[in-house]
This record gives sequence, structure tokens and C-alpha cells, in this order.
Amino acid sequence: MSNINCVLRTFLLVLLIGLLLTCVLVCRAATPDAEALLKHSDSYRNGWPSYVLRVKITHFESGKPDEDKLYEVSQKGTEKTYVEFLSPREKGQHLLMLGDDMWVYLPDTSRPIRITPLERLNGDASNGDVARTNFAIDYSAVYLRSEKLGNQNCYVLDLTAKRKGSTYQRVLYWLRVEDARPVRAEFYLTSGKHIKSASFDEYVSVGGTAQLRRWTLYDEIRHNSRSVLEYSGIAPRELPDKLFYQGRTDRF
Amino acid sequence: MIAQDAPSLEPRHDFRYAFSAIDDATFDSDLRPLLPIAATMLKDPSVILLQNQLLLEPSFTLRYHSRWSLASSAVGVTETFHGLSAADFNPPMNDPAVVTALDAALEPYTGTHTQFRVKETYAGLSAGDFDFMLGRRIVRWGTGYAFSPAGVLDPPRNPTNPTDRLNLNQGRDMAKLDYVRGPHAFSLVWSTSALAPTGSNLRDTTAFRYNILVHGFDTSLIVGNDRGGDAFGGLTFTRVIGQAWELHGEAAWREHEAILLGGKYTTTSGVSFIGEFYTPPNIPYYRDMTIAPTAGRQNYGFIYAGKSRLRELPGWKQWDLSVEIVDNLNDRSYTGILDANRRLGNHFSSYLHLEVPHGSRASDFGATPYSVATSIGVRFQL
Repeated sequence: MSNINCVLRTFLLVLLIGLLLTCVLVCRAATPDAEALLKHSDSYRNGWPSYVLRVKITHFESGKPDEDKLYEVSQKGTEKTYVEFLSPREKGQHLLMLGDDMWVYLPDTSRPIRITPLERLNGDASNGDVARTNFAIDYSAVYLRSEKLGNQNCYVLDLTAKRKGSTYQRVLYWLRVEDARPVRAEFYLTSGKHIKSASFDEYVSVGGTAQLRRWTLYDEIRHNSRSVLEYSGIAPRELPDKLFYQGRTDRF
Repeated sequence: MIAQDAPSLEPRHDFRYAFSAIDDATFDSDLRPLLPIAATMLKDPSVILLQNQLLLEPSFTLRYHSRWSLASSAVGVTETFHGLSAADFNPPMNDPAVVTALDAALEPYTGTHTQFRVKETYAGLSAGDFDFMLGRRIVRWGTGYAFSPAGVLDPPRNPTNPTDRLNLNQGRDMAKLDYVRGPHAFSLVWSTSALAPTGSNLRDTTAFRYNILVHGFDTSLIVGNDRGGDAFGGLTFTRVIGQAWELHGEAAWREHEAILLGGKYTTTSGVSFIGEFYTPPNIPYYRDMTIAPTAGRQNYGFIYAGKSRLRELPGWKQWDLSVEIVDNLNDRSYTGILDANRRLGNHFSSYLHLEVPHGSRASDFGATPYSVATSIGVRFQL
């Protein structure tokens, strides 16, 4: 009888340990790797190591289109972005990002001007919204929670700036569970002020690679203002290093 | 995912163009014409001169295989003057030589004049890490906003019009070789004065620049020589500190040292402030025509405050506004400048530009031959 009790106790103990171990493993498996998710989500805006695309930014005030601007973006790796301004009023201007540093070249100004990523490019879009699209390079990610946004199950990541060139101090980032596709974002300043939100509205397959086609930035301070960013002409392209040289102030 | 796109291929040709048309009307109030014989003969000293300028500015760039490029930018200007004529003067009627001289001196201030300027026209070849360029081109090596002692090939800088608001600056005729390797960039330029506009004091110039971005400092070393003149050297830098500050400076040596130090601060609401201090030696290369050769070293201050798009003010989101003051710290003369720009759709804008000089007649900015210059204009851009 005591032998049977001993075997039963041992069996129950092993069962309990196994159950606890399973719970720990299941819990660990349920917490996604935030950094890996963030890196994967970047691929929807950076499909190739070197590429070009066009961005049309349409600004809306009180629901009415206010003005639209067109830009051509050339990006190489995570540290080099060159933006050429194509709209009539801005022709001849261009913007260069090298790591943490940004310059804007204005044809009617005597020299290249050093600028910050947060300075506005057009409407609610900042320079960094167009030129700095590799969040995994600029932010540290922590998994916050899972929640349903509309009919999509999402992971919510809490991103904190890890380099001085980051556009925002903090970003709350909603990624679709099934493929880490960006769904929504909230952007915060160092002061903690919630200044913008974004919805990632439309994706397109380019050469078999899913890429962001349209997203919208909402001004959280002036609530009647939003800017729609539409990408087109997305294509991998060999880009020479000298395109990204800060001393070349002589482009048209 | 709603559509399937094939990646676009790199085009063999890339053609970009721009066109702008400006109609600018400038009223010079209380004009004191800089005429060699006329100043004391004006019947009424409060003359208002209207100068209407119509400017047509086409530009294009053609690139072929990212290797060859051809670019050109020109401006055609038609100037029409009103408000000043020989009838405004009291010349000695019995001296036809004076009358003839007065008519000749008034010629630039009366009637209609048309001129055509080639701002830039050049061909370029890109081969590996090398870029070669031949033609007329605007080069900007200086880092100053209102002043640029080290910008040896830059267009002349006018502190009361640092942005060249009518886009009239012309480039230098040059052969230029650039070599870019990693963070290092080397430029060698030979510029000829053979095709320079008549009246300019340009010389043939050979110049070399080394540029590097190191620890956030965008730094350049410039050396060169003007044919028949002195050798020169210069050092420039810009540096961004935090999210709001930018510092820049230039040190140049040409017979004596010239120093420029400046900074820019941008608030979170987008208001920009620029301040500069500039001290050039009083030598012919740097001297303003109103400064006496014996006046010694001059010191200048420059302050700018401006904002693009006043979105925070209801009804003002299409407006840009800026004010600036440029001051000769030696004789305390200054010019105050106000610029207001109003966007009208995607292609049109209108503007107001106001210049108010202040100081004694013998001072740097007080010698400006009007009390107020008011410019209004309309700009079309395509």
C-alpha cells in the first residue's frame, strides 16, 4: 500500500513539474520577440537594401485637400536617404539623411542647411516620416500587449528612441499578428506629448514583395488635419555612394 | 493587398525641368540717384522710382544612364522704369554738355531694358568615384547665411538679400573635378574670368577643397589662388547640437584673416532664428563700396527670425513671414528687412519685400540711396 502511495506521489509530483514547465514554456512562447517583429515590419517599407520610390503627400484640412507635394526617395541601407523635391514650388530642393544627420538644400539659400528629423516636410509629415523608415535601427522595442484593432489581431510594441537622429522619442506600434504588417502607430515627443497618429492603409505586391502603398498621418494637436502619403514607382536600384555625399550641393 | 505591381526599370534618360515667371515691382522712396552730376540738381528730393521687372527663368537637367548630364538655367529680365526723368532736374540750360551727360547718366534709370543671363550651363561626366564638369555653374562652398568669406567661388553674397530672392545670381565658368571616397570628398576647380560679366572684378581662380563629415562636423578645408592676386585659404564647419541648434563658421585668410561665426535655433513650432557675426579685413576683396579704405576692419551683425506657414494662426496657414536686420557694428548703421509670402494654390504665390536702411549718409547702410524700398510681386512656378 505504501509502495502504491509512493508511486502515486512521485507520479503526481512529476505531473505537477511537467505542468509547470509546460506553462512556463507556453508563456515564453506567447511573448513575441519584439525586436524581431520590428525588424520584420520594416521590410514593408524597405523591401530591398537599395531602392527608389515616389511619395505623394496630400494634406487635408477639415476634410478638404489643402495641397499636395511629390518627392522621389532614394534609399541605400539604413543610414543613407536622398529625397528630391519634385513639386513646382519646391523644384531644386533636396534632402539628405546620413545616419543621425540631415541636410536640406534650397536653391535660393546660400548653403546646405542642417535640419532635424522632426521638422515638417509637408502638412503633418516630418522629414523623418519620409527619410527615416527603418524603425529597428532607430528604436528599441518592447512587447506591450496583444489586442484586436478592428478585425485584426495585433501585437502592440512600445518603441523608445535609441539614437539622437530618431524622429520621435516614443512610438506605440500596432503590428498584425499573422505577418507583422504595420497597422497603426502613435508618435510621442520627449515631453510625453502625443503629437501624431498613423494608420497604415494599403499594401501592394512589388515583384513578390509586400510593400506599403498608402498611409495616413493624423495631427493629434490640431485634430482637423491629416496627411496621406502614397508610394509609387517602388523599385530596387543600384545607387552609388556619391549620391549621398553631403558636400554635393549642386544637384538640380 | 489590392494590386500587383512589377518593379519599374531604371530609365535610360532622366529629364527634369522647371520654369518660373516673376513680376516684381519695386518702389524706391526718397530716391537719391547715384548720378555723378545730378544729386544737387534735383527739383524735388522726394523722388519715388518704380522699377518693374518681369523675369522668365527656365531650367532643365538631362541625365543619360546616370553617367552623362547636361544642365542649363537662364533668366530673361525686362526692366521698366517710371518716376525719374530729365525733367526732374534743374541742369544749367546753357551747358549742353551737362544736359547730354545727365541724359546719359539717367539712361539706366529710365525707359525699358532687356537682358538675358545664363545662370548655369554645364556638361558632366560621372565615372566611378570621379565626377567631371565643364561649363558655368553655381558652386557654394561657404557655410555662412548672410556672409561667406570662405566661399571663394560662391556668387557674391548680399547680406540684405542672402537668398537671392529674384534668382539673378550667375555661376562661374569652370572645369571641376570631384573625387568622393567614403566620407572624404576632394574638389579641384579651375575657373576662368574670360566670360565673366563686364564690370565684375573676377579673376582666373584655381581652388581645391577637402570636405569630410567627422563626429557630426561637416568640415571643409579650402585653398587656392587668384591669378595676379594673392593665395587664399579657408576653413568652414557646420554642426548640429541636439534637436534645435545648428552652429556654423568660416575662417578665411586673404592678406588678413576674416572670421564668421553663426548659429541657427529652431523652436518646436517651426520658428527659426539665425544670428551671425562677421569681421572682414578692410581690403579691396572684402570691402563694400561705401566703406572708406582708411576705415579699418569692419564688424557686422546679422539677425533673422522667420517661419514658413503660420499654421497656428487661423487664416494664416498659407503665409510665410520673416524679419532680419543686418548691422554694421562700427558705424551703427543697419538695414531692416521684412518678407511676407502668400501661397496661392500649387503654382502661384505673391510676396512683399521691404528694406529700410538707417544711418548717417556717410555710413555703410545709411548711404543706401533710398529711405524705403518696397517690392511687391507675383511668382508662378511650374
